Amino acid sequence: MKRINDAVVGLVVIVIVLALAGALAWVKGTDVGKRPHEVVARFHDVGNARVGNVVVIRGVVGGRIQAIELAPAGWVDVKMKLDPAVQLPPEPVVLLNESSLFGEWQATIVERSALPHDETVRQQIDDGSRGGGVLPGATLPGIGKLTAVAGQIAGDVASVAGRVEVAFDEQAARELRGSIRNVSDLSRMLATTVRTHASDLDTLSNQLRFAIATLNRTAVTVQGTASRIDSAATSKQVRDMIDNLAQASTELRHTSTQVRDLAGRFATTQTRLDSFLANGDSVMEKIKRGQGSLGLFVTDPSMYRRTDSLLVQMRSLIADIQANPKRYVSIKLF
Amino acid sequence: MTSADTVITVTPLPGEGKENPLVGGLSVVGGGVRRLLSTIGSEARFLADVVVGFRDVRTWIPETTTQALKLGVGSLPIALFIATFTGIVLALLASYSFTGAVPLYFVGTLVGKTVMLELAPVLTGLALAGRVGANIAAELGTMRVTEQIDALETLTYDPVAYLVVPRVVSGTLMFPLIVAASMMVGVGAGWVASVLLLHLSSPDFVKGLRLFFQTFDVEYGMVKSASFGFAVTLVGSRRGLRAEGGAVGVGRAATSAVVYSAVLILVLDAFWAVTWLLGREAT
Repeated sequence: MKRINDAVVGLVVIVIVLALAGALAWVKGTDVGKRPHEVVARFHDVGNARVGNVVVIRGVVGGRIQAIELAPAGWVDVKMKLDPAVQLPPEPVVLLNESSLFGEWQATIVERSALPHDETVRQQIDDGSRGGGVLPGATLPGIGKLTAVAGQIAGDVASVAGRVEVAFDEQAARELRGSIRNVSDLSRMLATTVRTHASDLDTLSNQLRFAIATLNRTAVTVQGTASRIDSAATSKQVRDMIDNLAQASTELRHTSTQVRDLAGRFATTQTRLDSFLANGDSVMEKIKRGQGSLGLFVTDPSMYRRTDSLLVQMRSLIADIQANPKRYVSIKLF
Repeated sequence: MTSADTVITVTPLPGEGKENPLVGGLSVVGGGVRRLLSTIGSEARFLADVVVGFRDVRTWIPETTTQALKLGVGSLPIALFIATFTGIVLALLASYSFTGAVPLYFVGTLVGKTVMLELAPVLTGLALAGRVGANIAAELGTMRVTEQIDALETLTYDPVAYLVVPRVVSGTLMFPLIVAASMMVGVGAGWVASVLLLHLSSPDFVKGLRLFFQTFDVEYGMVKSASFGFAVTLVGSRRGLRAEGGAVGVGRAATSAVVYSAVLILVLDAFWAVTWLLGREAT
């Protein structure tokens, strides 16, 4: 009897223990026989994330948070147990965020390039990247923070509304009514102006349309030309043309060298000519001032008179020599 | 006339029969303190006897499985019955409370957390306080009033080691197992009720169940239930061993065992909540 009692108690104990172990493993999502791999992410603050929260990769639950521990230098290390089949994306980072409005948090593993465009988040990720050996992590603001900010904004709006209420008295209302009336008049005037200039606008738009059509035609022509250039570019003519152009450019380069020499010589000649002209100017100036023989000759009338007198004398001498050669020329042979 | 037959008559002095109200009040307080200390002392002495009784392994070990069968395995049906209906009612209550405000998959969360942390240990503990506590008190009380315990003492058997320790050990060990079974059955009943009565899909219920599940929930419930088992069996044994006055005394012992056990269960529940649950960050 006692042995039967022992057997019954033992059976009940074993059955309950096995059932409990199985139930726990099932609820925790443990894969029996498969070794999950662990990754550790580093955060400044983990918000309301807790052990057991899910880890999501590309929208699919791929594991759970296994432990959250304080680490040195103000960090918090979050250990995550991932399913064996899960492969991390390149450059993985971990975001802790609320998964619903009911306080559920989750860890989301994403690529660094897929981070939200938030300066704070990127700063957290950059800080976490310096550690090495762990994934960098950032915590997105929870609904509590968002509602707190929204509450602050609502308070500010209420404050502004209160000020507007204070500022918007009867006088302001009258002025606003006047402003509205003015705006009404202005809009009426604008309508009249628009009606007046509607035909101009039509003409302008027609011209614009015509210009655009012209531009289109031009574009078609340019396109045709371009296609012709394309087709020509593929034939031999272009090569010949390019060869001719090369030869022409060689000759042109030669000619330009000669022209450059010529220009150099011309510059030398010009320099000399300048010098000659300067000297001529100097001579002419001296002549003008009556310096030198030529100056005296040009400017002094006595010189002219003497020269004229000399010429008269010379002419009479020559006449005398012609008339009486023997007076001046005596030829003796012995 | 012998000296035993001598009658001494004391004539009271004038004013001596009139009790001073201050002295009367103080004597009431003093008497209460004395009785309280006496109770504490005797209970502590009983606890010490139980601890000492643990040394007598040869006496209590053979009886333990018998008691485990009677107190533990025999209590499984009532415990599972309670857990089944608890799970069903919890699911329906959760659905009623969540209407339109909270996603229905939180039914799984609420059923799981509530059953594991509180309802399975406490309700099972209270049920077993009635069944096991009364049973032990009546059994030991009957043995006490029929002088069977005196006979054991005459045979140099330690009644505590032979009668109390096996019950306390089996109660402390079997209560967590019964509660574990209650947890599984309670959550399962809530699951079935959610699917059949609330038209909640199984994946949704499981999602809610897994959402905030921690192994701590089960550990907490089982440690708590072990303390309940220890308290219930200890109180039942103590009440039974102190029974006197025939069948009436046995009945009184059984009643007080159930009452004290129930009160102790609730006190211990609060104790664990304050010392373990409150101090624990939900990490």
